[in-house]
Amino acid sequence: MRPQSAGTWLALPVVAALGALCLAPLAILFAYSFFSVDFVTISHDPSLKNYARILQSETYRGLIARAFGSGLLVAAITAVIGYPVAWFLAKRAGAAKTMLLTLLLVPLYSGDLLRIFAWRVLLGAEGAINRSLIWLGAIDAPLQGLLFSPLATHIALTYNYLPFMVIGLWLAFESLDDAWLEAAADLGAPGRDRFRRVTLPLTAPGLIAGGLMVFVMVVGDYLTPQLLGGASGVTVISAINDLFGTAFDWPLGSAIAWTMLAILMLCFGAGAVLIRRSSLVAEGA
Amino acid sequence: MNRRDLLKTALAGTALGAFGPAFRADAATGILWMTWENLAKDDYLAPFLAANDIALTKTFIGTDDEQFAKLRAGGADSVDLITPGLDKVEYYTASDLLQPIDFARVPNAAKLYDTFKQTPLGKVDGQTYGIPFYWGINPIVYRADLMEAEPDWSVFFEGDAYNGKLAMRDYALEGIMIAAMYLGIPESEMFTMDDRQLAEVKKVLKIQKSKLRTYWNSIGDLTNLFATGEVVCAFSWVPPYYELRAKGIDMGMAKPKQGVIGWCDTIAVPKGVEGARLDAAFALVDYLLGPDYGKMLAVGGPYAQSTSAARDHLTEEQQDKIFIKDLSVMDSFVWKQNPPRYGDWVALWNEVKAS
Repeated sequence: MRPQSAGTWLALPVVAALGALCLAPLAILFAYSFFSVDFVTISHDPSLKNYARILQSETYRGLIARAFGSGLLVAAITAVIGYPVAWFLAKRAGAAKTMLLTLLLVPLYSGDLLRIFAWRVLLGAEGAINRSLIWLGAIDAPLQGLLFSPLATHIALTYNYLPFMVIGLWLAFESLDDAWLEAAADLGAPGRDRFRRVTLPLTAPGLIAGGLMVFVMVVGDYLTPQLLGGASGVTVISAINDLFGTAFDWPLGSAIAWTMLAILMLCFGAGAVLIRRSSLVAEGA
Repeated sequence: MNRRDLLKTALAGTALGAFGPAFRADAATGILWMTWENLAKDDYLAPFLAANDIALTKTFIGTDDEQFAKLRAGGADSVDLITPGLDKVEYYTASDLLQPIDFARVPNAAKLYDTFKQTPLGKVDGQTYGIPFYWGINPIVYRADLMEAEPDWSVFFEGDAYNGKLAMRDYALEGIMIAAMYLGIPESEMFTMDDRQLAEVKKVLKIQKSKLRTYWNSIGDLTNLFATGEVVCAFSWVPPYYELRAKGIDMGMAKPKQGVIGWCDTIAVPKGVEGARLDAAFALVDYLLGPDYGKMLAVGGPYAQSTSAARDHLTEEQQDKIFIKDLSVMDSFVWKQNPPRYGDWVALWNEVKAS
């Protein structure tokens, strides 16, 4: 047996397990999305009724749009914050690099709930920020809008997922050869042009990969909006949860889940094309 | 004793220690109870396990819906007892997941309060599939030190004195029931509301949303929100009232005149349970409706059993705490039922939250 063929046979069980554990549940969910439910009986007559309901429902369309809007917003904010941080880690941190990278990841070890409740302590009416502002005389009464608001949700989401953006960008900066920047400078390119025409294109794969990672995780996060978003903390994921649990409408829940998945796959496809293009630019450079 | 004897003794002891529990487990009948964690505390069940050769495994649920989903997805074969809400038993019977309760094997069921004997819920064709087990109310709990007067349901819909300081449970059934009670829709129509009534409910729920600090999902979280003063008044469960009073916070509990939501959980036996496991399951059901368990549940919960078995063993204060001192209080309760159009209710609830 040739080594290549042996590798194929050895990989087969892993591929089969992945198929069974990851793809099969998605396929079942996809099949359910065409069924309908009558009380607790699921009718297996296929139709597009559930997808039509999603298109006609302002609520579900709005929730899906809100989820992707949040994903884009947080991906953009983490990119703006993460870009200089990643540059510093890769190019200026020197011997402290390992320690700083570890520090960056420390919050991830603490768990979602702990981080969410820490934000409550900071942003609450009796929290550290309100108390400090009152002590400084900047406000007379606590700012109620700090906690249980979209602001609180997006602050926490940014905090939670910033490390994933920084890691993606840091890898891109690590592989950025400073000789390109030196050559551009030697040829008289000013700082702004060096950034726009050399640094940004060469780090774009990291930016897109980090952005996609943050985007996907924000879209799927329902705990943070639920616990920090207050009365406006409903998400499309919590609506799917209601449909699967409370309403026993598995078919509609499956259809919404697959609509989300299809949009996410489109985003990934667009991201892959962008990464490929930026890689070609880098190769051309 | 020489070295060889010492080694033999040590080995024999180790072997006995290792296999002892296995031998005991083989002898006992093993049953699995799917329930809420607060109902299956070790000390509540110790007298039953000491008196019977039964090995009980407990698996805990987070919501009633989760329990149904697990059984519906094929988990019924491995479970011997479940704990569905009285209003949810219909889901299980419609899915053909339960077997009828054999009252001959549950003598303590004779002591069920009349309300539970007479309820049509949990029954199909006169046969009981979910036997009422324990019950209580979901009242308004409030910070008495931060509110001027005892609230009723209108606090969630009228006035602006407590805007941004109120909380509501994130649960379509109860949220819509409260709006219906506020609107004066009678209990006889509440669970079969037509489109016009549901539109009225939606309108007032949108007003309610504008007054809320948050929708709560866990009672522990709501307790924290009360303690920190983020929330001063909420549609709640009873525990935060006692927990925070014990910590010195002046809490109030209101039972609104428009009606109070009553809840009751049942105990039910999945269809496939038979033989020794069925005997053990019914023995446990009988114990759960009996005086020993009832007293511990009343003191430790504090929750009321559905039978009068433990009532005479409790002080008046303990009876009052679980609403059984004056049983006529049950007359003002609106018991939760499963609306035929529940899918529409959930959609409405999501529309309000997303508005």
